[in-house]
Amino acid sequence: MPSPRFPIPQGTLDMLILQILSLEPAHGYGIAQRLEQISRSVVQVNQGSLYPALHRLQQKGWLRAEWKKSEIGRDAKFYCLTPAGRKQLAVEKDSWARLSGAVNLIFEEGSR
Amino acid sequence: MIRLFNWFRRGSLERGLNREIQYHFDRRVADLTAAGIPEPEARRRAAVELSLTQVREEVRDVWLGRWLRDFLYDLRFSVRSLLRSPSFTATTLLSLALGIGAITAIYSLVDQVILHALPVREPGRLVLVDWNGDDLITGGIGSFNLMPYPICRELQQQTRFFEGVLCRAEIEVNLTAGGDPRPVAAEIVSGSYFPVLGVGPALGRVIEPEDDAAPGAGPVVVLSYDFWQAQFGGAADIAGRKVLIGNHPMTVVGVAAAGFRGVDVGAVPAFWIPTSMYADANLDTDEDLLNNPTRWLQILARLRPGVSAAQAQAGLLPWFRPWLEDSARRPWFPVITVEKRRLYLASSLILTPAPQGHSPLRRSLSQPLWLLFAATGVLLGLACLNVAGLFLARGSARARELATRLALGASRSRIGRQLLADSLLLALTGGVLGIALAPPAMRALIAFLPHDLAANALRPSISLDLLGFALLASFAAGLLSGIAPALHAGRDNVVNSLRERGGTGFGGVRLRKAIVTLQVAFSLILLIGAALFLRTLTGLLAKGPGFDTSSLLSFAIAPLENGYSRADASRLVRRLDEQVRALPAVRSSAAARFAFLTGGAWSNNATIQTDRRIVSDRSVNFNAVSPGFFATLGVRLLAGRDFDQSDSRPAGEIGPRCAIVNQAFVKRYLAGRDPLGVRIARGGHTDVKPDSPIVGVVADMSYRGLRDDSEQVFFPLFESDDTGATFYIKVRGAPEQAIPSIRRLVRQDDPRLPILWFRTLDDQVNRSLNTERMLAALSGSFGALALLLSLVGLYGVMSFVVTRRTREIGIRLALGATRASALRLVLRDAAAMIAAGVALALPCVAALDKLVQSQLFGVTATDPATVAAAALVLAAGALVAAFIPAWRASNVSPTDALRLE
Repeated sequence: MPSPRFPIPQGTLDMLILQILSLEPAHGYGIAQRLEQISRSVVQVNQGSLYPALHRLQQKGWLRAEWKKSEIGRDAKFYCLTPAGRKQLAVEKDSWARLSGAVNLIFEEGSR
Repeated sequence: MIRLFNWFRRGSLERGLNREIQYHFDRRVADLTAAGIPEPEARRRAAVELSLTQVREEVRDVWLGRWLRDFLYDLRFSVRSLLRSPSFTATTLLSLALGIGAITAIYSLVDQVILHALPVREPGRLVLVDWNGDDLITGGIGSFNLMPYPICRELQQQTRFFEGVLCRAEIEVNLTAGGDPRPVAAEIVSGSYFPVLGVGPALGRVIEPEDDAAPGAGPVVVLSYDFWQAQFGGAADIAGRKVLIGNHPMTVVGVAAAGFRGVDVGAVPAFWIPTSMYADANLDTDEDLLNNPTRWLQILARLRPGVSAAQAQAGLLPWFRPWLEDSARRPWFPVITVEKRRLYLASSLILTPAPQGHSPLRRSLSQPLWLLFAATGVLLGLACLNVAGLFLARGSARARELATRLALGASRSRIGRQLLADSLLLALTGGVLGIALAPPAMRALIAFLPHDLAANALRPSISLDLLGFALLASFAAGLLSGIAPALHAGRDNVVNSLRERGGTGFGGVRLRKAIVTLQVAFSLILLIGAALFLRTLTGLLAKGPGFDTSSLLSFAIAPLENGYSRADASRLVRRLDEQVRALPAVRSSAAARFAFLTGGAWSNNATIQTDRRIVSDRSVNFNAVSPGFFATLGVRLLAGRDFDQSDSRPAGEIGPRCAIVNQAFVKRYLAGRDPLGVRIARGGHTDVKPDSPIVGVVADMSYRGLRDDSEQVFFPLFESDDTGATFYIKVRGAPEQAIPSIRRLVRQDDPRLPILWFRTLDDQVNRSLNTERMLAALSGSFGALALLLSLVGLYGVMSFVVTRRTREIGIRLALGATRASALRLVLRDAAAMIAAGVALALPCVAALDKLVQSQLFGVTATDPATVAAAALVLAAGALVAAFIPAWRASNVSPTDALRLE
């Protein structure tokens, strides 16, 4: 019973992760749950692709990770945004806004 | 970079990832079971969602990057497979390490002697100023870029082109600094020297223009950093100390910056003194060198930014022309022909870029060094070919493994890359070993070098440049030795490879034959080189210096440098000569003004008066010797008489009373007439009066070095213009035993007078042959190594061929072919390769002719006998190497061979 959700556009996963972490630090499963909430309604995120993305962002210096006790009392790896990551999020938001704005503009052009 | 770091902590990264994913997995399973799904089903779904293995792989790719990860796995695989075949690994490593070590060692000398720019500010803007005008009118020596001092002063005014101009000369002075006086190499420099070079003090101050303002203005000394460390233990209170230079007290004012060793790689000064102190510090002259045209120093200038050497040279003409005309009107200007005058006035200054400073050592060594560099390049190429051959051989042994991997889906490029990783790994490891080998090799090389100074000037140390060079060489070697096998690995058909039996597999016979042919060619080139240099050395040794060197001893003194007057110096030499001769251990003894076999000579033109006046058409070498000199050395007197006591003029009178010439002189200038009584003189000017009659003719002997076959003229020693002297002593018994008594004699006469050197003539002859010996020894060992490498290569490929053709040979034998024909079959193959290699090598040798000719003696580079002998040695060795597998082939039993299939 596949839902009529479409796959997440290339490159937006990173932005979503940054956005989620900009609210508060979270571990992988927490991020997955948040993504699940989003994806239930709109897009489909493969849970497996989360971890490569997290490690890639960490390697780029946009995320920092540390092991902490989670809400169930077990050790979990928590990720949080670094200042560079915060800057990157702003950049991506901006370029996303411009891109979608431009696409909208084209659509409006066509519908006129 | 961070990725490479990740490789080394991949263990902890893996553990972290596992824990992280495990947490995710457990939470997901817990959530699913909470939602009412049974646990086994929950676990399955969680696993599918996460696709665990793929996640791990992808995260690993993030850590390392795809290519790096593959490459590192390749390397790890290479290490394992190389460790599994230790003899292969050791052989390849050894040949690469030798090749890389040798070329690195030679390159370090090439770099230090030829390429290295001075450690000064912007060395690229330095030019050497030279002028050939003087040579035109005197036909003099002029090959050391020597210039007169006044030109330097005048060039300093040419600020349109030059930021500054300096002049310098190397001198040897006797230094007394709280102990015995001893001769020390120094540099006498203009006040502009340090400012123009941009070299500052490490301590105190350097020489400044004020020190050089007027004669005697600056009795100051600046020490070199190394000398300060070695002789004064780096004493912090060195500035202000008094030292004696010759007999004159001077003050140390500072130490030059560390690492600065003057502008001549071959002559490292212990300290610097200003030219204003010329008369005091030195030397064998009372002349006012600062104001006369004697050429005794080199001029270096720093160009203004944006001005090229050519522009400056052209721009200087408007000033230089009038200068020439002015100088031609000076009283000291010689009387010359109209034609020579025209040439003189048309001469110009020559500016050559000199970022490496000025160096006669460079001139004398650069050719042998480039030759050796080329030879080691060939040797490294040979080593690479050998490794390539070994790789191909290993490739055939691994054929099944590679074919299996191909069949399992490995791409050909993937396997080729694996093989390339093998060779790069080997080459880089070989390079590291080579770098470890290089310093001892450099020390050995430096020990070979001719000049005593070279030992001080050259350092067997690894610089960053050198490290870069060695790595580059290793990398090139890795590519070179790996590329052919790697390309080859992609070619064969999988099915065929798998179908074939073990041991045959990957062919590459043609490739391997080509490699062996190249090896033969390379090693023949090196062998011919070795034979040529060996013949040069033996030829020179057989020729000898023209006298018997056994039991001959020599020592030298320079009394003028210790403040003696000319008359006193002359008396001292005469006194010592007599006292030495009276020693019981001494058979006979004599003195000469200039030492033999040191590379230097007192040379000038000669004027000869027969029925007409002849000026020698090339430089004649002069010397002044005491009576009994020729008898002491055992040089035969062919006609006339030796000098005697009456030939020496008393002090105050000028000009030699008579002369003795050698056979070569008679042959060139007095052929067919009686030389005795002909009057000659030193110098080629029209105002020279030939007034010394020839009283004797002696056999030829070497003066500058063993190659020397110059015309020589000897005057009697103990003339008034006498300087130092070298004593030649024939002793009874071992020469070394006479040394202490002679030393004592000199010390009794003047305890402050140092003996410059004490040497046996055997030693002196050996020293003069240093370059030749270096070339012969190194090219000989390179040649032997090359021969060995190519023979091993040939043997390898022939064995391989025989193994492959065992079945064919078996069938031939079964069908009635004789064993001899089987032998021929295989040997013909080998002979073709050898012949092709020789054919390749011969044109190369002919092309190298010009490069080596000047280093040879008594043999030309294309000497048929030498070339034939080298080719014969190679061919004989190669046939023996090929014969062993061929013999095996001829002994194949047909039944066995057929059963093999």
